[in-house]
Amino acid sequence: MFFTLIRLQFIKSIRSTSFAKSALASGFMIFIALLLLSYVFFAGIFLGKIIELVAEGRDAIEFLNAGLIFFFLLEFMYRYFIQKLPVVELESLLHLPIGKKRIIQMLMLRSFISPLNVIALLLFLPFGAQVIAEKVGILGFASWFGTLLLFSWSLHWFMLWFKQRFEDTWIGLVVVMGTLLLGGGSTYMGWFNVGELLAPIFSLSMTTVAPMLVMLVVCLGTYFLAVNYYVKNAYLEDLSEEENIRFVNQSVGFFSRFGVAGELANLEWKLIIRHKKSRTYLMLSAFFLLYGLFFYTNPQYQSDEGLSPIFIFVGVFITGIFMIQYGQQFLSWNSGNFDFFLSRKTGIESLVRGKYLLFMSISMVCFLASVPYVYFGIDILLIHLATFLFNVGVMVHVIIYFALWKPKPMDLNKGAMFNYEGVGAAQFLIIIPLMGGPYLIYLPFSLLISDYAGLLALGISGLIGLIAFKPLSQLNINRVLSNRYEISSSFRQEL
Amino acid sequence: MIQISLLKKQYKDAVVLDVPSLEIAKGECFGLVGNNGAGKTTLFRIILDLVRATHGQVTIEGEDVSKSESWKSTVGAYLDEHMLLAYLTPDEYFETLRKIYGMSDADLKSHLEKFTELFNEEVLGKKKYIRDLSKGNLKKVGIAAAMMGHPQVVMLDEPFENLDPSSQIRLKKLILKETEQSKITFLISSHDLNHVTEICNRIVLLEKGKVIRDLREKSEMMSELEAYFTG
Repeated sequence: MFFTLIRLQFIKSIRSTSFAKSALASGFMIFIALLLLSYVFFAGIFLGKIIELVAEGRDAIEFLNAGLIFFFLLEFMYRYFIQKLPVVELESLLHLPIGKKRIIQMLMLRSFISPLNVIALLLFLPFGAQVIAEKVGILGFASWFGTLLLFSWSLHWFMLWFKQRFEDTWIGLVVVMGTLLLGGGSTYMGWFNVGELLAPIFSLSMTTVAPMLVMLVVCLGTYFLAVNYYVKNAYLEDLSEEENIRFVNQSVGFFSRFGVAGELANLEWKLIIRHKKSRTYLMLSAFFLLYGLFFYTNPQYQSDEGLSPIFIFVGVFITGIFMIQYGQQFLSWNSGNFDFFLSRKTGIESLVRGKYLLFMSISMVCFLASVPYVYFGIDILLIHLATFLFNVGVMVHVIIYFALWKPKPMDLNKGAMFNYEGVGAAQFLIIIPLMGGPYLIYLPFSLLISDYAGLLALGISGLIGLIAFKPLSQLNINRVLSNRYEISSSFRQEL
Repeated sequence: MIQISLLKKQYKDAVVLDVPSLEIAKGECFGLVGNNGAGKTTLFRIILDLVRATHGQVTIEGEDVSKSESWKSTVGAYLDEHMLLAYLTPDEYFETLRKIYGMSDADLKSHLEKFTELFNEEVLGKKKYIRDLSKGNLKKVGIAAAMMGHPQVVMLDEPFENLDPSSQIRLKKLILKETEQSKITFLISSHDLNHVTEICNRIVLLEKGKVIRDLREKSEMMSELEAYFTG
């Protein structure tokens, strides 16, 4: 039975209407994952050396034990952002005599097979096997290592529950921020050092198995927490029923100045705030506004002469994160009613123009909201202005152009539970090639003339893009129009 | 067979279903009619534990549907196309179900033979995924799937919708034959009064979530229903 379920999942993925695109994307993803894992692996091999360098004269094991909790806090953060929640078409299985528990267990098993779950293994195994096994013997090493691994896996199960339960709520955001504060902040501010508070536990695990047993119980506990939560909520209806009432009549008046395109921008705005998935992107944009704090305060990037090139990246991100993420599924958001637009006079043109309008407006809002960064110097404001212009003038066309390659259908109306297609690591990694764009323009000028010339070039190219908005957007509109039969049939195919 | 007690489904303040008590006997062909929004599909979904009841419970052979799952092996259902695995071909879908229900190849073959006429050579042996089938053929696949594994209860939502006239007649014959031979309890919702009065020996009329008529006399069904729907 288990095997049947897994086989079905496999068949489903290879028969998807957008197999080519997802195959390419997953090929790329596997490549990136292997690359990153190999870094982790090498970091693991040289962990002993690295610790020697960083903590000269201190006991390496002690130092590592004091640092472990920071690793797990970091793991908590990256899991929150990139760990995917399992997806299944519940309706097609629930009525069969399979048992909800079975279906959920299959989901859990599938979610467990993830590169995220071997990071701790790769990172700490070599050091443990070399240094710890030598010092406390093989049993002590096994118990220490078991504790770490179970800790990491507990986070996996915990995150499955936590994200499903609290994502899209303020509690979730508060907990994540709190964790960040607890980890970095408390030590930085000198309140208390979590590392040193928890180090004895990891040290203890080298002499007794008690910590490992406790972690085993925690790991099993979080597993059952997740399974029970999923089984309990394996119903067709949405988890949150107040949805319909929460967001009524929220048009953005400003859009109405732009005619039909404005009307459709309004429509799109409603689509965004009325679906959980799209709302998550909006919340992420707000979250990424804080992104600058990590970079602009970092002394590593402060220099007396000129600007750190990394700031361009930050600027593009802060002012453009929404269009980068939301824009990747450009038409997929409308896959449920694409035929509606096809059957209207100039429907497609207005749809695409409306989206442009919306992306640019949100980018504008992000830019305005980022103005307080001027506290870190007028340069930051200039960077944001230049990258903002570049985003709305050039980047937006590029993103849409890429997104129009074999768009896949997406079901927004399914219950929020088990519906997480398209939110995950891929969303973040696909951004990397896109990021080359601004540097292509910035770097030549900044290296040959000056950093400000680079910014000017970015800004001017953005302005040119804005002036040439009509013909550039027409390119993308024509692309939709010429592929309209393929797009609409691919949207209709998957039920 | 199926016992509904004090059942209520509420979304916020709106009560969409309120059935204090309803019993469906074994071997009964139970018809459910009512205008749009009367709560027919919601009732089916609650019986199948696809949607939570706000109050009350549904039991099948004494088992509370929301507490256990063993009833699932004796209940077949087809409510909408989301209940199918759209990325399989019909043959593969039946094969998968065969494994799930633990049937033998011969069992499956003889089961599908009953549908030869209904399928009209358009469903089996075609290299076509379920998602590419027409609405009528989707319905045929769903109905055949719902009746697999010797169920005691079969629930069909609008089974005649989207079928061509000859298929409608064939399906009607099939259902009549199954109630007679296998003593399957059918629960059928339909807007087609002619069909439903012809095959069902009991018809319940829902209005705004409430049972307002429970008709058991075949001769009076049609006139009662017509009076309600035209009035």
